[in-house]
Amino acid sequence: MPPSLCCQPIFESTGNFWLSLLLAPIFTGIFGVLVERFLLRKVHAFGILAELILTVGVMFVIYEAVKIFWGSDSLYVSVPKSLEGLVNIGGMDYPIYRLFIIGLTLVILGIMALLLYKTRLGTVVRAAVSDADMVNALGINIPLVFMFVFGAGSWLAGVAGVAIAPILSVFPGLADQMGMDSFIVVIVGGFGSLTGAFIVAMICGLLSSYGVQFVSQLAPVLMFAFMAVVLAVKPMGFFGERE
Amino acid sequence: MINKRIKWILWAGILLVLVFYPRLFGTYFTNVFVIFAIFALYAVSFNLLLGYTGLLSFGHAMYFGAGGYATALALTHIEGCPLFVALLIGLLGSVALALVLCPIVGRLQHAAFAMVHLAFGMLMHVLALKLRNITGGEDGLGGFPIPPFNIPGVVSVDMVDPTNFYYFAVPVLGVSLWILWFFTKTPFGQIMVGVRDNAMRVGYMGFKVTQTRAVIYAFSAGFAGIAGSMYAMFQNLISANCLNIGNSFSPILMTMVGGVGSFFGPIWGSAIFSIIEELTTRYIEQVELVMGLILIIVIMFFPGGFTGLLGFIKEKWFGSQSGKTATEDIS
Repeated sequence: MPPSLCCQPIFESTGNFWLSLLLAPIFTGIFGVLVERFLLRKVHAFGILAELILTVGVMFVIYEAVKIFWGSDSLYVSVPKSLEGLVNIGGMDYPIYRLFIIGLTLVILGIMALLLYKTRLGTVVRAAVSDADMVNALGINIPLVFMFVFGAGSWLAGVAGVAIAPILSVFPGLADQMGMDSFIVVIVGGFGSLTGAFIVAMICGLLSSYGVQFVSQLAPVLMFAFMAVVLAVKPMGFFGERE
Repeated sequence: MINKRIKWILWAGILLVLVFYPRLFGTYFTNVFVIFAIFALYAVSFNLLLGYTGLLSFGHAMYFGAGGYATALALTHIEGCPLFVALLIGLLGSVALALVLCPIVGRLQHAAFAMVHLAFGMLMHVLALKLRNITGGEDGLGGFPIPPFNIPGVVSVDMVDPTNFYYFAVPVLGVSLWILWFFTKTPFGQIMVGVRDNAMRVGYMGFKVTQTRAVIYAFSAGFAGIAGSMYAMFQNLISANCLNIGNSFSPILMTMVGGVGSFFGPIWGSAIFSIIEELTTRYIEQVELVMGLILIIVIMFFPGGFTGLLGFIKEKWFGSQSGKTATEDIS
């Protein structure tokens, strides 16, 4: 559900940043739950391809709806007062806001890892991914679990969308750009692997930064080339399980 | 017997309408029809992957674009390149691209296959934008000479005229569609459906599953290339827009709405979308909003698409057994 990540930071233009960081992700989360409950669940029986195509349809609708309500111009979001300015780290000036994002993502990553690998809920989610029918037979409400997971995913996308809004501006095409990057990260890292996603996200970030520095013409191609090389060697990604 | 005769009369009628179509409807609707036919071939080639082999690609536009760019480059750089050679270069261009990608994508399935295609489609889009000296960047390649349809010593027909181009494009696209239809009826076409339904079993029967997928993949890419090449020649322009995500999604929409798994489904879908586009652009700008809503409704309530609905109505009102779709008669 990448498009919802672009549409919510617009809340920002009305209120202050902290309020939108709190509210916008909740909104995307609820939206995700609704999409899962009323759309995706109905086509679950037709297989994964139908679900994929359905999300494409939802994406079209959100994308156009965003254009109707907010236009296709860029909207600007300012960094909150308390996070403005630079901080000196080892002789280099670094924006505080970017440090804040690094901190925020580390906290969320920690919570996610704890939730997935240390709690009963995490065990259920991981088991449900590998064999949903079996877990269902054990008396766990699988549709509810999937609904929760989808909502949590949309919530996280919303957090990321708000966090990135002051750095990039907000425009409908943001969804394409960010969605693409996250797809590549997930594919190369391997489906369902938190470690893989984290490591590959790092590599991709470095690749595109150094790419812009040294081969600016072909910087956008570097990530795709990286993906092609990895997939040629390991079709399921770095940490993906074989089918 | 009587059924067969009705079928022949129907085909003859369609042929007659097609022959006199430009005279009946004028230039504007002739152009609309050519675009419809191009996208019908594009969608049918896509359905060969999704409907028959069970491979969902989010980046089929790269083959459409590869065909278009190959033809445009050939016509720009080769002096006096004949019409059919340009078309053939378009076909070979996208088959070559497919053969390059085969080793990477051939082993993937389901969501991974779709996402990798999304990424490769974007890669091609970015390349078309960045390699300005070859592809012309955002402006694309345009204004290349369109060669006349030429049989030496017999006839030479100017192809810039849209009506003449119609008489060239429609037979070529029709023959392409017929070849694809014939392809699905061959024993190999049956294996293809087997690969979709139970790849492991097909493997145990001694057929090579990965290689089968690769051959179908190249085949499908080639016909998407013909569609793209025809599109480039028709518009006298190929730009990076042909490679964007929207153009990858349009055959998915057409196939789903027309009816996945049925050969004629995507053609119906292409027709439906041509009509919807004609109608909606008169009232609102957001054509994609309407298409997205239609897609959601179709997937949720009519998984068989338009052909499924037709079969359902036929069965209900006439009680005939023709509700079966073309691909279901294998097992």
